[in-house]
Amino acid sequence: MGIANQMGSMSVNSFSFCLNQTQTLVAGCRISKPGSVSLSIKGTTFPSLTLQRRVPRLRVTCAAKPETVNKVCDIVKKQLALPDESSVSGESKFAALGADSLDTVEIVMGLEEAFGISVEEESAQSITTVQEAADMIDKLLESKSA
Amino acid sequence: MKIHSVSTRYSWSFVCMTSLRDRAQLMTNTRCFGRNFVTASSSLPPVQLPAQREVHFWYVLPDEVKSTNLLNQYLEILSPCEKEEIFRIREEQLKKSALLARALVRTTLARYQTKCQIDPKSFKFKKNNYGKPEVDWQSADDWSLPPLHFNISHTSSLIACGVAVGSPIGIDVEEKQRRLKNDILAFAQRFFSPHEIETLTHIADPELRLQEFIKLWTLKEAYVKALGKGFSASPFKTFTVRLRDHMKGDIHALRHVIYKAPDITVEPSVDLKNPSSNWEFVLLELAGSHYAAVCIEQDSIDPGSKSGNGSMPINLTLRKTIPFVEDECISANDSAVVIGGLARLAVCD
Repeated sequence: MGIANQMGSMSVNSFSFCLNQTQTLVAGCRISKPGSVSLSIKGTTFPSLTLQRRVPRLRVTCAAKPETVNKVCDIVKKQLALPDESSVSGESKFAALGADSLDTVEIVMGLEEAFGISVEEESAQSITTVQEAADMIDKLLESKSA
Repeated sequence: MKIHSVSTRYSWSFVCMTSLRDRAQLMTNTRCFGRNFVTASSSLPPVQLPAQREVHFWYVLPDEVKSTNLLNQYLEILSPCEKEEIFRIREEQLKKSALLARALVRTTLARYQTKCQIDPKSFKFKKNNYGKPEVDWQSADDWSLPPLHFNISHTSSLIACGVAVGSPIGIDVEEKQRRLKNDILAFAQRFFSPHEIETLTHIADPELRLQEFIKLWTLKEAYVKALGKGFSASPFKTFTVRLRDHMKGDIHALRHVIYKAPDITVEPSVDLKNPSSNWEFVLLELAGSHYAAVCIEQDSIDPGSKSGNGSMPINLTLRKTIPFVEDECISANDSAVVIGGLARLAVCD
């Protein structure tokens, strides 16, 4: 959970989260002040995280970074020999792009090389969309740098 | 292989819903082909169910299906959901391939009539807990068909459907000449078992190594698909497929040397004390261009099945089809060869 704010800091005890050393907690989020999380509350406790008007730039996302998705798209296009202008996006399912199971596994191998990660075999053969691949990659990268 | 879709507008020329007038037109057009069929099911010659240890292998070559009218007919027998999925595929060839795959399954299953004609459109499919497609027999009203098991596989140039009774079945087809983007050994190191990597490493010639790789791949795929539990349950590294060559026939005892196709076995990569001996494989070479692997479960009460030499071969009936148009029985000849496993190409009824 990444929260950016310019007010003073206060600890909140109704939910807990971990900050790791890097700037990102969740792919796609940025914290303006590394190592600290600030939350503006005025004597209110939050049972769950909600958007507060006083907290600008609150971004919560679990999806992969757009750069990751784009890189995956490029690798997929290369593996399946698709023209550059062909439409491949996060939603794209490998099978609908003409990939069979061998292509899918080759794509995973290409992703491992490109991102410097290692995918579990169980996952390698069960990824079916660009988004799934990108999410998995970002998760692996995150745990690698943790 | 699952058929997935991408949300987008389709550009294919035919429509899903035809008006009554269009249907009449469609019927007239099909009569002009010289075939007189009134209903879809009447143009599918009925076929006897496969017996135990018998596999029916049907395949269609997309290049042989060119008629838009025929493709329309195939579309007609699909469920609304299947049609939706197909319309969402952008690329023409992929769309056609997906359509042919669904049509092949439906028309093939419809041939196995016992009491009355079955409309291919009436099949309902569901997925098992792991995503493997199966026939939903519960919605079959009062059909009395024994549980047929089927499995599909397709490449861009060949779409196949395997059918068995009393055993789960997995099939996989690949083009023999299919190139990998990665180096074969690097790929095998990553995904295959130690024994398989060793086998491939010992083949010096790159073409032969590729062919052996494709054979192993199709066999491994067919096995996992027969298991029906998805790839997560049986990652490729965890089991080994072996092709064990036999000695060729005694040249003195026989007039001709009989080549016996290699035995194919599967066993866990690590725990070799407990080989999975109840799965059987057949490996075919089709039309000189494709490898096709079939995997079925051995009949545990078959007296011949446990002993090595006394095993009965699997009867494989091979048919090339253009549904609603023609079926061709393929017997053992240049266009179909059993290259692995204990099987014989049976004559069609």
